[in-house]
Amino acid sequence: MSDNQKKKILIVDDEKNLRLGTKRLLEKEGFEVVTAENGTEGIEFGIATEFDIAIIDMKMPDYDGIQVLKAIIKKFPNTVCFIATAFASYDTAIEATRVGAFSYIPKPFSPEELLQQVSKGLEKRELSLQKESWLKEREERLLEVAFEKTRLNTIINSISDGVLVINKNGEVVLYNPAALKFLLLKNIAIEEYIIDKLPEKMAEQVNEFLKSHEIIKRSLSVQLQMKQENDLFIEATSSPVPAHDGSLAGIAIVIKNITELKKIEFLKSQFVSMVSHELKAPIAAVYGYLKLIADKTILIDPVKEGEFINRSIYRLDSLLKMVNDLLDISRMEMKNTQREIKEIDLPDIIKSILELFQLDIKKKGIGVVIENEENIQFLSGDKDEITRLFTNLISNGIKYNKQNGLLKIKFCNENDYIVTEIKDSGIGMRPDEKAKLFHEFFRAKNEFTKDISGTGLGLSIVKRIVDSYAGKIEVNSDYGSGTAFRVFLPSVKTMNKKEISDKKIIS
Amino acid sequence: MAKIAIIDDDPDILDASSLVLTSKGYEVITAQNPDDGYKIVAENKPDLIILDVMMNEPDDGFFLAQKFRKNKITTPIIMYTSISKAIGIDYGINEMVPVDEYVEKPISPEQLIEKVEKLLHQHIER
Repeated sequence: MSDNQKKKILIVDDEKNLRLGTKRLLEKEGFEVVTAENGTEGIEFGIATEFDIAIIDMKMPDYDGIQVLKAIIKKFPNTVCFIATAFASYDTAIEATRVGAFSYIPKPFSPEELLQQVSKGLEKRELSLQKESWLKEREERLLEVAFEKTRLNTIINSISDGVLVINKNGEVVLYNPAALKFLLLKNIAIEEYIIDKLPEKMAEQVNEFLKSHEIIKRSLSVQLQMKQENDLFIEATSSPVPAHDGSLAGIAIVIKNITELKKIEFLKSQFVSMVSHELKAPIAAVYGYLKLIADKTILIDPVKEGEFINRSIYRLDSLLKMVNDLLDISRMEMKNTQREIKEIDLPDIIKSILELFQLDIKKKGIGVVIENEENIQFLSGDKDEITRLFTNLISNGIKYNKQNGLLKIKFCNENDYIVTEIKDSGIGMRPDEKAKLFHEFFRAKNEFTKDISGTGLGLSIVKRIVDSYAGKIEVNSDYGSGTAFRVFLPSVKTMNKKEISDKKIIS
Repeated sequence: MAKIAIIDDDPDILDASSLVLTSKGYEVITAQNPDDGYKIVAENKPDLIILDVMMNEPDDGFFLAQKFRKNKITTPIIMYTSISKAIGIDYGINEMVPVDEYVEKPISPEQLIEKVEKLLHQHIER
């Protein structure tokens, strides 16, 4: 036995001969033995180091054996203590074991008796130590389980989707706060029967699982409007939870907030319906004229007929323009057109756009003024896109201008932006018209605009392009006296910093 | 011969429809917005009104129809609409909108005349 594996025994006895004799005997057996000659020493040694076994004399002048034993066990509960006593009696034995002695050894004892007791004591110690380690292990495991459970609860409670788990009796097993919120419930109790508290369609779905004879192995989904006026739409997906034997243990329901999705769906169908209407109007007009001309029972004078044909062509032209605009919007939304990003001189682009409009400008007698600050910074962008942006604005500035009006175009650098102002002396806008300005198909309808054609998509396209360059557009308008658009586009310096992607980014 | 009012903001539809109806001998009066529409009906007391649903606002036509009825103008109304039922917008006649008939654009001269004659005939019988 190496020293550190040697079992340690403490002998507390005021009888010197017995103390030394026992020590010698036990050392011979390979134990490490420490002796104490009185109770005080016994306590001191016994609580300083942990002994495997302590043999304590019952009767000592200072402390009695029971006091020493108590002190040692208090510190080291696994030290196996024997009480040695010459006055062996049943009472003493009971008293000693009651306070924690393993056993008692009657004095005098033979070496065999002692060794037998010591070996029993060691067995006992072995068992106690093992028990202690098992207990500790179990405690640790329980802590771990508890921790796992708390962690899982924390996770489930913090996810934004609602979670509701129901057992096969329709009672709640688990839920999270989001589930309460989406189901508009104030509280749910665990093990509460929940099905009649669920919205009708959800309850039907849950019952489908619970009442089916065969296990339904797929998930079922239902969309519900929980509050009126688009306030809350949810999608509840129920999935079966199988037990070990494959039978149904319960149902896990995940509830998603799909309000935003529904809003987008609504906007989409609104858009489709508007597009259809806008496309149908020119078709109806042309169809009406053609049917009229084709109808042999209706006599039309040739001048009128020619006028109808011209009107038809005009309507078809605007229909074509509208379809092209719609395709542009769709392309921008799909973000799939490659941009050809180059450095662009904005005043140059504007000048070439103005040349295209020369005829219209002359016809209306409009005066064009360009105010150009020096050193206008370059813009980095797709030339076609930037051209389309300003073509739409300049075209409006001409269309909605007064006869012999003024079109003023001004450039300036403002911080990291190039600002282009396009100001007309036209009909202007009312506040309510201004609010709807960038909406698709919005066109102000009043006595000035009734003869002006347009698709109602131009400014919507302008806004999309400006947004895609992380720019800004401002409008100033007075009804009756003109409108000014100010377009802010980031200059080359800024563009480099922001690393605009080469794909079109449209919000 | 009967007098017919057409109220529609699309001048081409007004022109074509007017010509179809005048060629059949009807007297036609027209207006391009709800306010003028109400005025010509109140002043000229036509025998039939043809009314477009969507003018300045998507439901101008409905409101005008309701205004006629509220003010005891019981003239039969044919409502023009270009909104396809397929998009899911299906307006019930009489329940919500006090009109007698509605037709979806585009409409051919024969259809228009047929609807007009049918409605005028019914109205005279009543």
